[in-house]
Amino acid sequence: MKSGMRWVGYGLALAAVVLSVILATRFGRDPGLVESPLIGQPAPEFTLPSLDGEETVSLTDLRGDVVVVNFFASWCLECRLEHPDLVASSDTFGPTGVTFVQIGYQERPQDSSAWLDDVGRSDHTLYLHDPGSRTAIAYGVFGIPETFFIDPDGTVVGKIIGEADALTIGATIDAIKRGERPGQSVTGNTQQRPDS
Amino acid sequence: MSERTRNLIYGGLIVALIAVVGFLIATNPTEADRVSRLGASIMCPVCQGEAIIHSPSEMAREMMDLIEERVGQGATDQQIIDELTASYGQGILLDPPVSGPTLILWLAPAIALVAGIGVIVWWRRHPSDPADPTAAPAGRTRTAVTALILIGSAAAVLVAVTSFLQDRDETALGVADLQVEDLDEVSNQTLEAVIAANLDHPQISGMRLALADRYREEGDYRSAFPHYFAVVESETSDAGQRVAALAGLAWITWDGNGEADTALGLLDRALEIQPGSVPVRFLEGRILHCSGQSDRSERVLSDLLQEPSLTVEWKQIVSDELAAVEAREVCA
Repeated sequence: MKSGMRWVGYGLALAAVVLSVILATRFGRDPGLVESPLIGQPAPEFTLPSLDGEETVSLTDLRGDVVVVNFFASWCLECRLEHPDLVASSDTFGPTGVTFVQIGYQERPQDSSAWLDDVGRSDHTLYLHDPGSRTAIAYGVFGIPETFFIDPDGTVVGKIIGEADALTIGATIDAIKRGERPGQSVTGNTQQRPDS
Repeated sequence: MSERTRNLIYGGLIVALIAVVGFLIATNPTEADRVSRLGASIMCPVCQGEAIIHSPSEMAREMMDLIEERVGQGATDQQIIDELTASYGQGILLDPPVSGPTLILWLAPAIALVAGIGVIVWWRRHPSDPADPTAAPAGRTRTAVTALILIGSAAAVLVAVTSFLQDRDETALGVADLQVEDLDEVSNQTLEAVIAANLDHPQISGMRLALADRYREEGDYRSAFPHYFAVVESETSDAGQRVAALAGLAWITWDGNGEADTALGLLDRALEIQPGSVPVRFLEGRILHCSGQSDRSERVLSDLLQEPSLTVEWKQIVSDELAAVEAREVCA
């Protein structure tokens, strides 16, 4: 009987190990880091108002350009860190058939606008408001910052999760201009709204 | 009709009525029912394993609003689920799909049940020896546990293989990490953006110099000039970077504008920083040659050729240039 109990112990130990491996390999993944199903798919269309509400912008109007769609908010530290790189990239690539679109995420447009007054804007970037987060949901945003790259045909070909630096942004645009599909890159952490 | 029969009929009618009402409710849910059911089946993307209907986060609330709007517009449950999974992937479903790699999750309980029944049946068909009640159970237990271990191991292997195949599928879609490994593949515009975003970075002079050299080699002197100039002026540039930038400025001043004296002045500044610099002295000799000052060029190159630290490669380059000067060849 003692021998039988020992085997039961071995069996339980092995079962625990197997369960641990399964949990560690599949179910322990951060769902925000999975590959975006949008890559290789047509970019979700949007028509959004500018932060000042004076105009609306549709993605279809930008067809033919490489479009960089970035979701940001004033309460997001990583967004503040990446902002100078986004501005510099937009200033550099803006005149060459690349349009940067920054979409305020889960905050009032006046809050996004006040933050941009503080940290600076690019003359080539479109700054938009996303009522009800419909566009963020359509792009499968888990947290911010997240940046999507859309090729001139309107297909999502790249995504950066976390703080994007000018080198990664530029290299992604370079690859798209060469006709490549850069895919997804995780460069840092993302944030959710503090009260989430 | 007896009272007992009447009671049975009434009871049967009540049960039937309840069943009909229940069926009608189940098959004709209200819009609110559908919204609630869908909300309970979608995981909140900013929470940990919580349905959006139960999450207090703003994102979950906005997703519930979206579902409500879609239901009101007449979308089917499947259309709404397809819309959300197209954005977030199947992982947003609290109940994984009964197909593909996640099929194993649905089959696992049935497999475990069948395996358990099998073990019990085997156990009962191999009864212990009643004459020896103490010895047999250990043997049977060992066999049963061995069977369970084998079943568990097989399940683990199955999950591992499924996981592997799923990863391969994702890779086959072309989704791969973007890595900037080779700066040669990075465009001038990208380097411009990196520099513009990092003007105060102490190591930015190296990137400016690399970009300016690229522009110079491409013959775009107008774009090279501000970067060479910035490297010369920057307090964070080291001596080697300043000398290289002055040499670059000297060459584009001569080759671009034909201003030999200004170019030679810039090279003098470079030699004040790094006296004896071989590239600078060679460039001085070359600009003198190209500007028709062959005698001075000959002296500079001859002196440089006597330099004991000259490498074999530089010795060859200087000798070739000196031979061209001595032959009074036109500067190429």
